[in-house]
Amino acid sequence: MNRAIPRLSGGLPLLGHLLELRRDPIGLMQRCRDECGEVGELRLARQPLVMLYGEPAQEAFFRAPDEQLDQAAAYPFMKPVFGPGVVFDATPEQRKQALRNRSLRDQAMRGHAETIARETERMIAGWGDAGSVDLIDFFAELTIYTSSAALIGPEFREELGPQLVPIFKDLERGTDAIAYVNPSLPLPSFRKRDRARAQLVTFLQGIFERREREGRKAQDLFQVLRGIRNPDGSPRYDVNTITGMFISLMFAGHHTTSTTSSWALLELLRHPEWMKRVAEELDALYADGREVSHQALREIPQLESCFKETLRLHPPLILLMRKVAQPFRYGDFDVPVGATVGVSLAVSNRDPAVFREPERFDPTRYAPGREEDQHAFAWIPFGAGRHRCVGAAFAMMQVKAIFSILLRRYEFELAQPPASYRSDHSKMVVQLAQPSRVRYRRRAAEPAP
Amino acid sequence: MRIRADLDLCQGHGACAGEAPEVFSVDERESRVVVLDASPPEALRAKVLAAVKYCPTRALRIVEE
Repeated sequence: MNRAIPRLSGGLPLLGHLLELRRDPIGLMQRCRDECGEVGELRLARQPLVMLYGEPAQEAFFRAPDEQLDQAAAYPFMKPVFGPGVVFDATPEQRKQALRNRSLRDQAMRGHAETIARETERMIAGWGDAGSVDLIDFFAELTIYTSSAALIGPEFREELGPQLVPIFKDLERGTDAIAYVNPSLPLPSFRKRDRARAQLVTFLQGIFERREREGRKAQDLFQVLRGIRNPDGSPRYDVNTITGMFISLMFAGHHTTSTTSSWALLELLRHPEWMKRVAEELDALYADGREVSHQALREIPQLESCFKETLRLHPPLILLMRKVAQPFRYGDFDVPVGATVGVSLAVSNRDPAVFREPERFDPTRYAPGREEDQHAFAWIPFGAGRHRCVGAAFAMMQVKAIFSILLRRYEFELAQPPASYRSDHSKMVVQLAQPSRVRYRRRAAEPAP
Repeated sequence: MRIRADLDLCQGHGACAGEAPEVFSVDERESRVVVLDASPPEALRAKVLAAVKYCPTRALRIVEE
């Protein structure tokens, strides 16, 4: 039996629910669940978006093969950021090839952990005994260095400086959902996006060209990619394409990690009993003088639970989408080719059928015996299935390394009213709204280094 | 014990091969796990449990016979 997909109320004649998506995306996605149930349709300009809710429907979404649900075509707002031939614009075969990139494999992680610890030390070297810092400015800069040093190479990282922070911010703020109407409307945010990308291309190409001219060969991703040849011996990737790949690599690990680090610190400050627990856990673990790069790859249970809870409550991506390339059926519902299907991480992560008291910050939900994150198709801050974030393990290791250093050196306190810290959801890339300042003070009894 | 690998979920990270190289390997071309021994001896249970636990995509399961 076939049933018609329920349509969400509201929406404007031409724009559909687009303005509501830009104003209050989580509210919109929750409203669709409340009104329509497991399957509901809304509209982004002319594009129908069929939302799937609950573990079984989400599992069907995440298990569907690429040939049926296509990730590449679903994110029109990303294309002008990455440029042609990169990630969301790539064929399934190109994507598979990118996954073979070994830098995210297990064996490489130890080296990455050392890199991240070193970069964190460098960032706080000038902090002194006390002061204040804007969380997003701090973590955005730090994660530009860590992701470029670890994923691209240490030599490349040395070329980068704080001038990249506003460039990435403009790229991220250029992900306005109005791109569903047209990704090159003459809007200030799109103009800034395009200018930022052009600046980044010029900057990266300058590095690459200088390197090729001087004939220097570093052991890094640029050299690896330049070394890949077509059957006729010509280089497979030109500098422009590699530039796009680097933007996508750095982009993927940038706003996600910096936003999560910021929210994790804020949630610890809002829940002092957890800050105390985590600080004690870290002091005990590192009491024997072991290296951060060693411990960050191992279990730090209390801290990890706090990160999981931060990701559940503040997922840096709130909506995942696929374009239907072959007919997709779920239950009694047929979704036609050409429609988009979506899963809301923000709604799923607070599903009361899975999470007890879903609005509460409660890291004990991941403790042995409860393990609410074992619901692999409901606890989905990293997505699930084949397209689950390939950087998830890297990201967890990274935040463990950063916090192992920060929380043992410094104590923090909120510098603004607690309610003033909030996420800005007006763009598809979620960011902590600024200002987002905290104060720090060197701990009285700093643990032995 | 028998091992089930869910290939819809596997991304070929290779954490399992690190924990239990006797039982798991990674097909580099396909970026997915190869189960070398689907019914490994009990002596390897601790290693297999670690592989299941540390799989970043939760693609592995143990089914008791």
